[in-house]
Amino acid sequence: MDVVLKISRFDPGMDTAPRFQRFVVGVEPNQTVLDALLCAWRQDIGLSFRRSCRSAICGSCAVRINGRPALACQTLMEKAVAEGEPVTIEPLPHFKLLKDLVVDLEPFFESLKAVVPWLILREDYGGRMSPEVARSLEHPATCILCGVCEADSETSETLHPAGLVKALRLARDPRDALGAHRIRLLQVPVEVLRLFVRELPDKCPKGIEITDDILRRGVT
Amino acid sequence: MIMHEVLIVGGGLAGLMAAMNVSGKADAAVLSKVYPTRSHSGAAQGGFNAVMGEDDSIEAHVFDTVKGSDYLGDQEAIEVLCSDGPRVILDLERMGVPWTRAEDGRIAQRSLGGAGFPRACFAADFSGHVVLHTLYEQALKRGVKTYPEWHLLEILVDKGRVFGAVIYDLARARLEVIRAKRIVLATGGYGRAFLKTTNGHANTGDGMAIAYRAGAVLSDMEFVQFHPTTLYGTNILISEAARGEGGYLRNALGERFMAEYAPGKMELAPRDVVARAIFKEIKEGRGFEGHYVHLDLTHLGERLVAERLPQVRDLAIRYSGVDPARVPMPIEPAQHYSMGGVRTDVWGMTGLEGLMAAGEVANVSVHGANRLGGNSLLETVVFGARAGRKAAELAPGEPWPDVSSNTVKDALDRWNRLCLAPSAHSRSDDDQFAVRREMATIMTNQVGVFRTGVELEDAVARLEGLRKRYRDLPVPVGPQPFNYGLMDYIEVGHLLDLSEIIARGALARRESRGAHYRLDFPQRDDRNWLHHTFAHTTDRGPEFSAGPVSITRFQPQERGY
Ligand SMILES: Cc1cc2nc3c(=O)[nH]c(=O)nc-3n(C[C@H](O)[C@H](O)[C@H](O)COP(=O)(O)OP(=O)(O)OC[C@H]3O[C@@H](n4cnc5c(N)ncnc54)[C@H](O)[C@@H]3O)c2cc1C
Ligand code: SF4
Ligand code: FES
Repeated sequence: MDVVLKISRFDPGMDTAPRFQRFVVGVEPNQTVLDALLCAWRQDIGLSFRRSCRSAICGSCAVRINGRPALACQTLMEKAVAEGEPVTIEPLPHFKLLKDLVVDLEPFFESLKAVVPWLILREDYGGRMSPEVARSLEHPATCILCGVCEADSETSETLHPAGLVKALRLARDPRDALGAHRIRLLQVPVEVLRLFVRELPDKCPKGIEITDDILRRGVT
Repeated sequence: MIMHEVLIVGGGLAGLMAAMNVSGKADAAVLSKVYPTRSHSGAAQGGFNAVMGEDDSIEAHVFDTVKGSDYLGDQEAIEVLCSDGPRVILDLERMGVPWTRAEDGRIAQRSLGGAGFPRACFAADFSGHVVLHTLYEQALKRGVKTYPEWHLLEILVDKGRVFGAVIYDLARARLEVIRAKRIVLATGGYGRAFLKTTNGHANTGDGMAIAYRAGAVLSDMEFVQFHPTTLYGTNILISEAARGEGGYLRNALGERFMAEYAPGKMELAPRDVVARAIFKEIKEGRGFEGHYVHLDLTHLGERLVAERLPQVRDLAIRYSGVDPARVPMPIEPAQHYSMGGVRTDVWGMTGLEGLMAAGEVANVSVHGANRLGGNSLLETVVFGARAGRKAAELAPGEPWPDVSSNTVKDALDRWNRLCLAPSAHSRSDDDQFAVRREMATIMTNQVGVFRTGVELEDAVARLEGLRKRYRDLPVPVGPQPFNYGLMDYIEVGHLLDLSEIIARGALARRESRGAHYRLDFPQRDDRNWLHHTFAHTTDRGPEFSAGPVSITRFQPQERGY
């Protein structure tokens, strides 16, 4: 099917503000927005957008599709088109725009450091862990650092959700010396964290779920 | 000019593991064309082989690997891989990897193809992802300097010794020279040379092509792994774990056809065997719609699929529209892994002084003619760590290599003309996308699972034609930030170099071994071909020579499954 894409363009050397450019691309309904972007790129080789895995596991292709932050390689064209032609593709909001669909990721990756994003091994850790506990760590560990939650959050400048996900995942880890103390170290009010945890699965392309029992433990 | 004692190129598992092992001992930096967490290692699902249980043994792991390699793997290196494995897995666990656990709380293990034992440690089917992120956390902890979205363009050599690299900084659209005492290449594979591949967009073989141009030796490039089970159409990987957990392969007649090809191992035979079986079924008219077969998980039950294979399920639902817990998945084989690469020893040392390599870019030859599932992730962490340790041991004591200022200037001038100046080439109607597509089509159709002399000869000739066309292409002009067109142009050049070497190597090897299957020479021929293929660059193009295989414990024998 032929689809009209409205892609946001911005060249820092020439433009003062982003503008839209229309592309007509031929794609199959079950192809993804990333496939459509690759078609557009073949028409204009100067178009810039990130991609890597094309299977929703690396986080490179996060953009705003029809107004909502999402992964281009995870969004099927039939779904994007159903929301009404043309399909608009813009850079993630809340990030500094560098070129076309490419935004500045430095502050995002930098923000991780604030939560001490590594395991601090408990001295008495004996090397075993129950399968249930291990499973509860798995899911939050699938965060791909795509930045969609950051782009989708009004308070992201202060909260940095991706860092929170890492901190909350480490807080549940029985191997970690800080463990539930990490919650207090975050210095984010527990009500805010609770709301964040509740809203995350709907925003996050990986549907990351963190049960909020850990929040209770962190406070007491 | 930037200086680092050890420059690690690549932020995947091999690169980050190397960085961790250098950090604190020598000044190191990691350079990567994508942010490290976006490296292709993160897509790996199945797991890391390592002997953890009491009933398993290092010797058994070595034997399975040697046999899997069709006796072309270097047994000395395989011994190192298997012996270092358990330690590294435990190290990773203490860094925070959330391995899936068995009932008794130990690290759980699953069966992958070609193994005589459930030997793969895993975290559901996100194994590569969680280890990549854990290593990234460790890099943050150690304050490892990273240069994300910096592309290696050239390895600089003076008087036979590596002294640095030319880099293109994508965000700022400028060139940079980094001087280093040692460069560790960890740039991964070249899957994008093939039209049908499980590999992501970044896997364009840069490191192999750049090392080769700088004078390093590539070995065993004709051995290309095709994964049996990728989603029909997109070629997104369906991990071997799906068969490891008990999945069946069925043809259009509903038969579990592996009974014909590997009755002893069925679906868990090695990849080369299964890929050929699937192709044969399809070719002989027993595929669905003439194109694919089914991978059937429906008998495993919703719960097991959800717990052990959540990503497989997600991918199948999204990209094929089927829920594998209920409906069989349409699958076909596709390119997956490069057994060949930059020749190294067990410490990652290449023949080029100052250059080291580890991971998929390297050929330390633990996989020989065919890699077993789970051995590549293990290779990245084991040999990444060893290369890091060796570099850390050597670099501090080494003097900074001398360089004549002309060498740097010449290189910079050359790249400046290409990257930053308006295109000097004549405008043509041709474009790099067309050249890439033709190359990838030739590779998939003629240098694929089944090969013949006639088709390979034709492939070599056509690839040569493409190289000529490539030389006349207009270069996407800069300077502009995030000039992916320019990067793509350079990557196509790398892929063309490597494709030619793969095709020529395959044409020369007149036998069938592991993943290299010649319909016109269907037998393995140990008398004439039990040796590695080395490729060197010359003014006249690639030149090939033979190198010995290290055989210590296990003498070659027939490889039945
Ligand atoms: C879909 C999939 C699933 C897999 N599953 C398994 C499995 O379950 N078990 C197993 O054992 N193996 C598996 N493999 C194989 C294994 O994942 C890879 O061989 C391995 O991860 C390669 O790691 P690496 O560190 O060598 O390279 P990569 O992870 O590919 O990293 C390469 C790095 O080099 C950088 N780079 C490349 N070129 C340049 C350049 N020019 N300049 C700067 N940086 C550059 C990239 O940015 C990247 O950071 C799988 C492979 C695929 C494709
Ligand atoms: S939590 Fe989800 S949305 Fe946020 S960075 Fe991680 S994967 Fe992306
Ligand atoms: S390309 Fe990796 S998440 Fe989309």
